[in-house]
Amino acid sequence: MRLALLLLGALVLAFVAAPLFIVVPMSFSTAVSLEFPPPGWWTGYYTAYFNDARWTTPTLNSLGIALAVSVLTVLLVTPATFALVRHRFAGKGVVNLLMMLPLAVPHIVMAIGYYAFLADVRLLQTFPGIILAHTALSVPMAFLVLSANLKGFDRTLERAALSLGASPAATFRHVTLPVLWPGFAAAALFAFVQSFDETVVALFISGRDTETLPRRMFDSIRTQADPVIAVVSTLLFLAVAALVIVPVLWRALSRRRSEARP
Amino acid sequence: MSATTAAAGGGSLRPWLLLAPLLVFLAAFFLVPLAQVAVMSVSDPEWGLEHYVAIATDGFHLRVLLDTFITALTVSLCCLVLGFPLAYAMAAAPQGLAAAMMVVVTMSFWTSFLVRTYAWMVLLGNRGPIARFVEWMGFASPELLFTRFSSTVAMTHILLPYMVLSLYGVLKRIEPALPRSAASLGATPAGVIRHVVLPLAAPGIANGLTLVFVLCLGFYVTPILIGSPREQMVAGVIGQQVEEFLAFGEASAMAMLLLASTLVILGLYHRRFGLDRLWG
Amino acid sequence: MASQVFSRRAALTLGGGIVAGLAAPYFRRVRAAEVLHVNTWGGIWERAAIKNLFEPFTKDTGVEIRPVSPVSFAKLAQQVRSGAYEFDVTTLGAGEIIRANQANLVEKLDNTDLVKNPPFAGAAFQNGASSHAFATVIAYQKSKYPNGGPQSWADFWDLQKFPGSRCMQRYASRILPIALAADGVPADKLYPLDLNRAFRSLDKIKPAVRVWWTQGQQSQQLLRDGEIDCIALWHARTLELIDQNQPVEIVWNQAEIERAYWVVARGTPNRDNALRFIESALKPERVAGFCKDSLNGPLNPAAFNFVSEAEAARMPTAPAYKDKVFEQDILNFGGDVNAATQRFERWIGT
Repeated sequence: MRLALLLLGALVLAFVAAPLFIVVPMSFSTAVSLEFPPPGWWTGYYTAYFNDARWTTPTLNSLGIALAVSVLTVLLVTPATFALVRHRFAGKGVVNLLMMLPLAVPHIVMAIGYYAFLADVRLLQTFPGIILAHTALSVPMAFLVLSANLKGFDRTLERAALSLGASPAATFRHVTLPVLWPGFAAAALFAFVQSFDETVVALFISGRDTETLPRRMFDSIRTQADPVIAVVSTLLFLAVAALVIVPVLWRALSRRRSEARP
Repeated sequence: MSATTAAAGGGSLRPWLLLAPLLVFLAAFFLVPLAQVAVMSVSDPEWGLEHYVAIATDGFHLRVLLDTFITALTVSLCCLVLGFPLAYAMAAAPQGLAAAMMVVVTMSFWTSFLVRTYAWMVLLGNRGPIARFVEWMGFASPELLFTRFSSTVAMTHILLPYMVLSLYGVLKRIEPALPRSAASLGATPAGVIRHVVLPLAAPGIANGLTLVFVLCLGFYVTPILIGSPREQMVAGVIGQQVEEFLAFGEASAMAMLLLASTLVILGLYHRRFGLDRLWG
Repeated sequence: MASQVFSRRAALTLGGGIVAGLAAPYFRRVRAAEVLHVNTWGGIWERAAIKNLFEPFTKDTGVEIRPVSPVSFAKLAQQVRSGAYEFDVTTLGAGEIIRANQANLVEKLDNTDLVKNPPFAGAAFQNGASSHAFATVIAYQKSKYPNGGPQSWADFWDLQKFPGSRCMQRYASRILPIALAADGVPADKLYPLDLNRAFRSLDKIKPAVRVWWTQGQQSQQLLRDGEIDCIALWHARTLELIDQNQPVEIVWNQAEIERAYWVVARGTPNRDNALRFIESALKPERVAGFCKDSLNGPLNPAAFNFVSEAEAARMPTAPAYKDKVFEQDILNFGGDVNAATQRFERWIGT
């Protein structure tokens, strides 16, 4: 029974990893569309991706939007998280619920909401419009990450600094911030990825000059389904791999280093 | 605790000052657009409940809703059936192997829906590896793409990491000694899993099922790209009403029903387990 | 510390000012160059349009043309409502131009030369500029039907005689007449359409239709990858696949001829240039070149002076096909096109 479960687990793991083994070879394929295994190999679709403004512009757009979203999200969420983690006040439960709400509302609902709303305020198909929408949608994850970090923060450090005569601002800057920076980085990263990947809302509110990468990919999959999508996917895989594997390796290495030290 | 209250002693205004920027932002750029959907559902093109009446009576919309629920249920159960062995294997594996497995699951989790949908298009396509294999075995090439099967497989794959991560969280916390002592008391391996592991994993299972079900209810991209045109999901119909016909009223009414279904399910979870843990 | 900050800010301001000053003439030049965005169908269609219609126009007027795809009637409606324009000019088929006029989505052509001084009879139709004719034909995989595939819409509908998956365009006004033809209605009795009968006919083929295509390149991809066995798609896309040696057969019998019209999105800030463009796109030598490369048939009769006989033979307007094909009669549709489209979409989804 146990062995059967473990074997089944290994099979499921193969299922989870399957797309990786499809998409990466596909990006080097000479196929015109969905043929697999590839009829031949080349790097022509990489050249096509990097030389086609119809791909590079949406990529840059998405990077810029995601960067703005991550900064804006952290700026808005940080003080709010401090308020919710460190203070007790009437209405806290409601505020907490409101901050989590963007995670609960299906994106298609927000897509038509933003579509109508941004058209009314003349921000449809503009960068500010997309950034504002994506920021609202990124709030819950950033809040979760940051509050988990803040709850684990040892406040005796701050109290020590205060009792030694440091001003609250200086304490925040020289004690709280340095300790919490991985939390900020993680929150910013979550917001960045959330925005960079967001498809449904972007399909409705981005436009010709503000096209995002997911929207371009969606259109491309729906029309010619050529391996340029596989190229983009492979590049995204690499980025994700860097995000996932580097911290794991770093932790493993630093553990070994500290163990090696006598 | 006393330290917290001491810090809050600066006055009850302080938390609100800290919260103000975010609350104003969310009110303006989240609640207002959301409210606009609610208003459009009863005001576009004219005031009244006509869209809700139509949804309740015309047969089409209820069918789509029902189809969506069935799909979401199927996907949730598939995720559970596939996710449990994987999470179990991860919890049981030695540390290094477990970490490697975790990397695979997390990578899948972070990879864009579109990328994974595209991968399934290739996998299930008529010129894809599965069709090739079936043909090589001497059977007629199967038609996998653009069916309920293809969209269910792809959505299961896309949502599986949520289930695995939920289950792994609880399975990891189960004392390794517990199943062993049950076994030493004479329980069969199947009995150990049924009577010891499963009850202890129940919160994780509820967590995973809720997450997957709720996310699946609102799925837009994948069913559109590789699903059957005859079995549309609610989100696809909503999108189409807006994109093709600019029928904001009808789309908004459907959206409100979708939102209500989602919130009811999350509400039930909240009463039993507390919402804070859902995305923990 | 404070002074440091200030000096840094001053340096930034100064630097920014210099950059802005240097860049100003460049930016002004960019803004002065006018740009027109034209919605295209991608692939062979777009290449033909760029070479024969866009580039000559830019040479004449200095107005740059940028192609925007994919084509979407919905986008036209959205942008007129929201005021955020993705394209200034697009092409519409017969059914869509009726819907567009109903919903007031296109600029009126009343004061243009196309109406006041038309270059040929029928140059303007429902506020659109008549560009070219194209056909919806039957195409099938040769390997699936080695003894010959469906030769008529009735065959296409006959799942016993020609088993296999089907695919058609998600486009009500184009598919409904075909459904009637499949049901045995003779070509001259199609219009006004008996919509109920058309939907009953469609019911019969529905289980076999795996996909409803929306983009020209998508229909080619589905055929190329062998995803479907029989498809109703545009003749030009089929000919292109055949020219690429794909094992695909085209059936001209009962091909449905339809006209495509250039229209200007209502309210676009580039209205004047857009109108100039659609007038220029009807010039005989330009539409001839466009049709030769995109394998369509020019509606401007003078264009045939620039087309060889061999080239004309591949066009849906060729005399050889005259007795085989039938043409849309959209003004005599037999119902409200928009309502029929709504019904069609709902029908697909159930």
